[in-house]
Amino acid sequence: GDSWGIFTFLCAALCNLPALPALNCSEELGAGQSIQQTYDLTRYLEHQLRTLAGTYLNYLGPPFNEPDFNPPRLARAERVPSATVDLDLWRGLTDNARLAANYRAYSRLLCYLRVLDGQVGTAELRHRLAHFCASLQGLVLSIGGVMSSLGYPLPAGPAAPPAGPPGVPAAPNDFLKKMDDFWLLKELQTWLWRSAKDFNRLKKKVPPAVVTLRLEARGF
Amino acid sequence: VSPAADPAVISPQDPTLLIGSSLVATCTVSPDFPLKAEDLYWTLNGRRLPAASYATLGPSTLSVALARLNGSRQQSGDNLVCHSRDGGILAGSCLYVGLPPEKPVNITCWSKNMKDLTCKWAPGTEGETFLHTNYTLKYKRRWYGQDNTCQEYHTAGTYSCHIPKDLALFTPYEIWVEASNRLGVAVSDVVMLDILDVVTTDPPSDVHVSRVGDLEDQLSVRWSSPPALKDFLFQAKYQIQYRVEDSSEWKVVDDVGNQTSCRLAGLRPGTVYFVQVRCNPFSIYGSKKAGIWSDWSNPTAASTPRSERVAGGCDPKGGEQNTTLRRELKQFFGWVKKHAYGCSNLGIKLYDQWRVWLQKSHKTRNQV
Repeated sequence: GDSWGIFTFLCAALCNLPALPALNCSEELGAGQSIQQTYDLTRYLEHQLRTLAGTYLNYLGPPFNEPDFNPPRLARAERVPSATVDLDLWRGLTDNARLAANYRAYSRLLCYLRVLDGQVGTAELRHRLAHFCASLQGLVLSIGGVMSSLGYPLPAGPAAPPAGPPGVPAAPNDFLKKMDDFWLLKELQTWLWRSAKDFNRLKKKVPPAVVTLRLEARGF
Repeated sequence: VSPAADPAVISPQDPTLLIGSSLVATCTVSPDFPLKAEDLYWTLNGRRLPAASYATLGPSTLSVALARLNGSRQQSGDNLVCHSRDGGILAGSCLYVGLPPEKPVNITCWSKNMKDLTCKWAPGTEGETFLHTNYTLKYKRRWYGQDNTCQEYHTAGTYSCHIPKDLALFTPYEIWVEASNRLGVAVSDVVMLDILDVVTTDPPSDVHVSRVGDLEDQLSVRWSSPPALKDFLFQAKYQIQYRVEDSSEWKVVDDVGNQTSCRLAGLRPGTVYFVQVRCNPFSIYGSKKAGIWSDWSNPTAASTPRSERVAGGCDPKGGEQNTTLRRELKQFFGWVKKHAYGCSNLGIKLYDQWRVWLQKSHKTRNQV
């Protein structure tokens, strides 16, 4: 289970970086195959998130880990990019816009998650978070790879500093920070649900190239 | 449009408290909000607090009294929340309730091949877990040098740290552990040691166990001294432990000096044994002090020989076939001779002749 997922995302990530010599991927790897891999990655992350969120919300304690918990989304929580969008708007997205929205969202979510990693208390949680961040990084790379193979430019934006995206103040107290963390996980979950649909849609529009996925993955 | 201000403010915000202490918290609704004190209620970790503990301090301020607090349910703090009548969250405060840390104890350290130092310790008493406790291992050279802080934690269990380099030999070090949490700091006793006193090494390599000729009760064990310490002046002490394959009881051979071979005797014939060897870098630089035993080498297996005695095997010469039956027949015929008159020709020789005839007739039958 776990090792297959890691293998998939690593291949997806590394195969789409043409400069990487260590992994010998067949050049016939078409956009269609990458989209499938990206889709698989979102499903894998969704699965991982369920465990991570469960552990994290237990760490925050009740009421955060109660199933019907629905706190207000305060002003500061708006900074996390929202996955929910009008249905017609979503249908009408161009491939470029669709991919770009995903790329931007996960890049930002990754930043926030990394900040979390630095502050969290227990060793088990830090370990799970680190693992999840690595997988999420793989997803961002994978989406970037799909965009490049389709000829789209990657959305602009410098790599965020470790302290988190600039211009966003940290939560002023510990309780508000817990609420921010709750919404971060919720939004991550919603995005992964949405991405599965996004990539399903893209799969249908971009026919998979007739390829055999030949991978000489060394060291796995 | 989301409101810019928070709906309410709780005081104290995120306090740290000793177990057993009491607390009075207040929730003040922001003037932008049309809520009054009687529209509010409190929960702690999701459970509603009894109205009897509330007090109205002002038109939009409600307080709650919490007595004899237990240790925090989770290390991220207990969630004390001020709600509006419909259940909505107006504000929250995280309560950190626990005890100050105890002195860490039982600091033990070891150095692998004099290159590094790993230390482990135990939290004082049971280790208080209501509050997150940070452990820092510090060390310095006695009489001079500043305090250094160990950076690589959890290398040999939760309460451990690894110092990978820049360690001097022939000089005593002072080592201690500081435990800190929100309620205070506790410092362990200082341990003093010289790196050379706590040296351990890798287990011996190339452990070979072989038979000693045909001897049924002996095995010969051979190994190489650990290569990492070959440049340093030391004598090694070795220990061997062995056990029978299906037993969990190890026998230890203790007085193996500086040799790299040993003969095990008094073993059971025809038995598989598992053997392990470990090393102690005794007397580093002539110090005459024992070091720390290495881990045991991976078990090596060998079996003692068993002498070949055929019990009732198939002997084509025809004489030894089924010795038990032959013996019994001999006894029977002997008895017949004594007690039965006549049949004096009946004997074991007749039986043998019958068997020879039986084999001959089998052969002719098969040749057809």
